[in-house]
Amino acid sequence: MSASVLHTEVGVSDEKQAAAKSAGRRFGALVVRLGAIAAFAAIMAYFVVFAPGFTSTFNLINVVEQSAILGVLAYGMTSVIIGGGSDVTEGGIDLSIAANMGLCAAVYATLLSMGYGDFLSVVAAIGVGMAVGALNALAVVGLGILPLLATLAVLNVAAGMELTLTQNTVVGASSPLLGVLVSGSFLGISALAWALIVFSAIMIVVVHGTSFGLRLYAVGGHPEAARAAGISVPFYVSFTYVLSGFCAAVASILTVSRLSASTPGSGELLLSVLAAALLGTVFSRRFVPTMGGTLLSVLFIGLLANGFQLLNVSSYWVNGVQGALILLVVAITSFARGSEGSR
Amino acid sequence: MTNSMKGLVKALALGLAAACSLAVISGATAEELSLKGKRIGVSAIGTDHYWDLMAFKGIQDRVKELGGEVIALDAGRKDQQQIAQLQTLIAQKPDAIIEQLGNLEVLNPWLQKIRDAGIPLFTVDTATPHAINNTTSNNYNIGAEIALQMVADMGGKGNVLVFNGFYSVPVCKIRYDQLKYVLTSFPDVKIVEPELRDVIPNTVQSAYSNVTDMLTKSPEKGSIGAVWACWDVPQIGATQAVEAAGRNEVKTYGIDGSPEVIKMVMDPKSSAGAVAAQQPYEIGKTSVDNAAKYLAGQKVPPFTFVPSVLINKENAAEKGKPFLDAAEKAGVK
Repeated sequence: MSASVLHTEVGVSDEKQAAAKSAGRRFGALVVRLGAIAAFAAIMAYFVVFAPGFTSTFNLINVVEQSAILGVLAYGMTSVIIGGGSDVTEGGIDLSIAANMGLCAAVYATLLSMGYGDFLSVVAAIGVGMAVGALNALAVVGLGILPLLATLAVLNVAAGMELTLTQNTVVGASSPLLGVLVSGSFLGISALAWALIVFSAIMIVVVHGTSFGLRLYAVGGHPEAARAAGISVPFYVSFTYVLSGFCAAVASILTVSRLSASTPGSGELLLSVLAAALLGTVFSRRFVPTMGGTLLSVLFIGLLANGFQLLNVSSYWVNGVQGALILLVVAITSFARGSEGSR
Repeated sequence: MTNSMKGLVKALALGLAAACSLAVISGATAEELSLKGKRIGVSAIGTDHYWDLMAFKGIQDRVKELGGEVIALDAGRKDQQQIAQLQTLIAQKPDAIIEQLGNLEVLNPWLQKIRDAGIPLFTVDTATPHAINNTTSNNYNIGAEIALQMVADMGGKGNVLVFNGFYSVPVCKIRYDQLKYVLTSFPDVKIVEPELRDVIPNTVQSAYSNVTDMLTKSPEKGSIGAVWACWDVPQIGATQAVEAAGRNEVKTYGIDGSPEVIKMVMDPKSSAGAVAAQQPYEIGKTSVDNAAKYLAGQKVPPFTFVPSVLINKENAAEKGKPFLDAAEKAGVK
């Protein structure tokens, strides 16, 4: 903070001092970051040794399956944070993503139960998800509202629409597509697990392997520089919100397959989604969100719940540990960023 | 060890004495029951409600009493989490699984998977074809009794506000269907359409504002005669709303017997008309006994009913007290 103030108005010697300070901070951050990763590793090692059945293939595939919905949502959130910048108060964030998934699931299950086929129902669900994303984009990019507030408002819109549609009830659904997702498997890996694997591969390639992804990082990291380089910042930021809506829709179909229904209470997932996206930054050297980091933290959250259950430790602890880790990661991130003085 | 064994036998004998009052407990003596060396998985959709917590506690206490190991899983009212817990539980291969409440539509495919994995499944308050035994109250009785009490208090005519947000929960379906069936004999008692929706969480607040709105909509005294809900948490909000609106002619009816609702019914000035009080702790314990019997090779019926008691304005002072005592003893408020 102080460094950023100095930066703007003082001379060379102070700048040198600030640089030295920031180097010191970076080193400190590196130590803490490695510490966090070591803590992750230690927890996993403990599970491997003490939790019965933890390392069995069957169990690990179960965890991948259990992580699929959270993973797809977390990719949406990660893309928004990448494109909008990872400043916690002013950067990109999509608080509506879980509620949007609930709405899409309700649309999908309701249409199926009304007798429309898979094709139309899937198209409608994805259309609704992207429309909610577009609404976020309009509020954030078009109207210039802070993402935190804009998406909070859209969260309520989506949750309200879901309640109106389902009257807060469980809407049962079955279809050929759901049948495949529930019981299909290939090479001994279930369809839901494949969904996460394939979706992960696509996201990692698009965001980390293309010039499109590079520009997305530029937009989030240095919007002015990106603009100067001729990149359309509004387009990229809008795109991330629509992509986030798309992820919500895909996750909704996975949810309906897993629960054989659309059920109220999807909004509960928001905290885990945020946790996954934020925890993921610890796996990046510059504390930026990455798709790979998000995948690792999604699996970590899944393994945490799984390991605790196998150890017969109360599930109430999972929330506590998750919360403590978020606090740790956010603390490290702000610590590391303090030196850069984003503005 | 031997001392604690003696204590155990003593506890079992006492338990047996208590159980004798329950006509449903079959002939097998409690001493024979043991879960030594057995692991019992317990999955509950949530424990935020008095009933749920008492049953969940009853199951765990009984498993430990019988010398078994319990894997207790509370899904915190999240379907996703319950499914994940059940999936991992199946991989853990416990000797039996006891499942308590939840959305049947969501659960059924997974309960099927439990059976496919060869794990005996027992349920608490959850009627499903996949369970070996479902231990519950006689909800057919409860539903009819509370409906008849309501009709009697209304003098056979008037309008009823009905909360019907959980028709997908099997016990609520039975109670609601019984209400409808009773009302076919009393055509002057009418359910106000559209029905109200009870919700979780914020059940009390939401019921309060729903009932307040409906009373405002029908301002003449006597235009609404009663409020009905398939459980008693909405009844709390409804009773408060009726009293706050000064509409004491409206009486409220619910099922479960949470201590605060029993206290309301015991209070002569309260608008809570009646509550069907269940014995959730006993229900939880009895489901474990059924599992233990099954694992010992004995025959177990497809369902076991644990008695419940209709507490109304006339009998509240006498019938309510044992339930409040039981709640206090279990340390659950």
